[in-house]
Amino acid sequence: MKSRSLKDTIVSYLFCAPAYLIFTIFIFVPIIWSFILSFTDYSLLTFGKPEFVGLANYIELFKDPVFLRAVLNTIYYSILYVPTTLVIGFIFALMLNDDFPGRNFFRLSMFIPVVVPMVVASIVWMLILSAHPTSLANRLLGLFGIPPKGWLTDPKLAMLSVAMVMVWKTFGYKMLLYLAAMQSIPYELYESAELDGATGWKKTIYITIPLLKPTTFFLVVTSVIDSFQIFTPIYIMTGGGPGYATTTLVNYLYEKGFKEFEMGYASAISYVLFLMLIILTFIQKKGFGSEEIF
Amino acid sequence: MRKRKKPILLLFKYLLLSFVSFFTLLPLIWMISTSLEPDKGLESYSLIPKEVTFRNYVEAWNYPKLYDPNVTLGTMFLNSIIVSSIITVLSLLFDSMAGYSLARKRFPGRNFLFWLALSTLMIPFYVVVIPMYLITMKLGLINTLTGLIIPFISSGFGVFLFRQTFLSIPLELEEAARIDGAGDLFIYWKIMLPLVKPTIATMAIFKVLWSWNMFFWPLLIIQDYSKMPINLGLTIFRGQYVTKWGLLTAGMIIATLPIIILFLTLQKWFIRGLTAGALKG
Repeated sequence: MKSRSLKDTIVSYLFCAPAYLIFTIFIFVPIIWSFILSFTDYSLLTFGKPEFVGLANYIELFKDPVFLRAVLNTIYYSILYVPTTLVIGFIFALMLNDDFPGRNFFRLSMFIPVVVPMVVASIVWMLILSAHPTSLANRLLGLFGIPPKGWLTDPKLAMLSVAMVMVWKTFGYKMLLYLAAMQSIPYELYESAELDGATGWKKTIYITIPLLKPTTFFLVVTSVIDSFQIFTPIYIMTGGGPGYATTTLVNYLYEKGFKEFEMGYASAISYVLFLMLIILTFIQKKGFGSEEIF
Repeated sequence: MRKRKKPILLLFKYLLLSFVSFFTLLPLIWMISTSLEPDKGLESYSLIPKEVTFRNYVEAWNYPKLYDPNVTLGTMFLNSIIVSSIITVLSLLFDSMAGYSLARKRFPGRNFLFWLALSTLMIPFYVVVIPMYLITMKLGLINTLTGLIIPFISSGFGVFLFRQTFLSIPLELEEAARIDGAGDLFIYWKIMLPLVKPTIATMAIFKVLWSWNMFFWPLLIIQDYSKMPINLGLTIFRGQYVTKWGLLTAGMIIATLPIIILFLTLQKWFIRGLTAGALKG
């Protein structure tokens, strides 16, 4: 080590200091703090101090019908949303991968919803899916002679509508990632497959899909993680209703933490969410095989 | 190769793509035409307005005055611009500084720091949000623009991305400058940063988009109409607006326009920014 190494170390740390100060205050301290809070009874409304209650919050959670409903709703949403957005994204990537006139227009129009702010998209769809017979969705149904539906007010339809809106909002992003990955598949592979007599479908099934596995893995993992954290569209379009038909984990966390200000209970919800995400990611990693993907 | 497909298949493809594109754009087209049509009750909204007016925009602009006489939609628009530009500039600065240090310097604890930056990527925002709120409260930043900005002026993702980019720059450039007696600040600012302009642009777009669209955090900490970013403002008014679709859609277009304009002019960078998290190298 040279004599300037101490000064050099200090300079190195100074360069890191601002970023890591923020991480410490807003990520590292909170992740430990919320773990501790999850074992306390801590209401902000009464200005009380956190009171240690052991596992009481977690035990209560698993007896709380609304929480259990929120878990099921979140899983239901994830099952509706993840495969649909991925499959649609993949199909249009496949269709828009060849060069043909108008391709860029189609790509662009499918991608635009991705950049529209979530809040704006949610309000637009709230108006379009309004139960009123003159809403756009119901007028379209009317063209086929189908009576108006309460897209967001019918407990059976509400979550389906939310998932549909989110597919609309995000499939362009999945398409974009698939397109980028398809471009990196060597053309020779398709050529030699053709020499062996492979047709369009066979090329897709035996070359494209297997070679896109890393992208699919990435998209499945991130989409599942995102879907378990859905909040904004539900907050805006249904408020978790009708009843608790669309209350998801984060919506319930918001209710408990920032409407009722039960910080201990809400922290327990957040840690259950965290645990679920860790387990899900782990399972997916196993499911896709052990190859190094990231 | 590319034998031309049968024309009937090509026609089918065009029909399907046009159909899907139309339905993808339909909500946005409907939003625009609703905002341009005079308010005449629900039935009158059609995809092509029969009569065009900008009255809705003027009314939407002034609507927040009903709640706070000093606030227009412009105030909220400005808040959004302030918040997203400060977040973008500061996080680019801090992330690239840390990235530079982690990629280019040798010091004890470097690997641990890198591992810490990576670990922030695994921690979901909602798991830390409650203590984040409590800390922001203790710092006295609830209901301030500073409180909207501070937690997001650096990101593990940014540190990671800048580190990777700096690693790919040949050492010789830096060594030549060091022999000439240049210090770290000079090397970072004058030599390294200009070499990673694509990463800067990519991250800038990513950050602008992210901070402009941010919703949960403002919802938690902002109560004053004068401090609301425009996205939050829209939801506050949606209850009252609900029968005034013309006004509401006009407000939404005002909130969306900057992002759409940015997207259409900087498409290439947008796409890079949005795919940056997913693709290697």
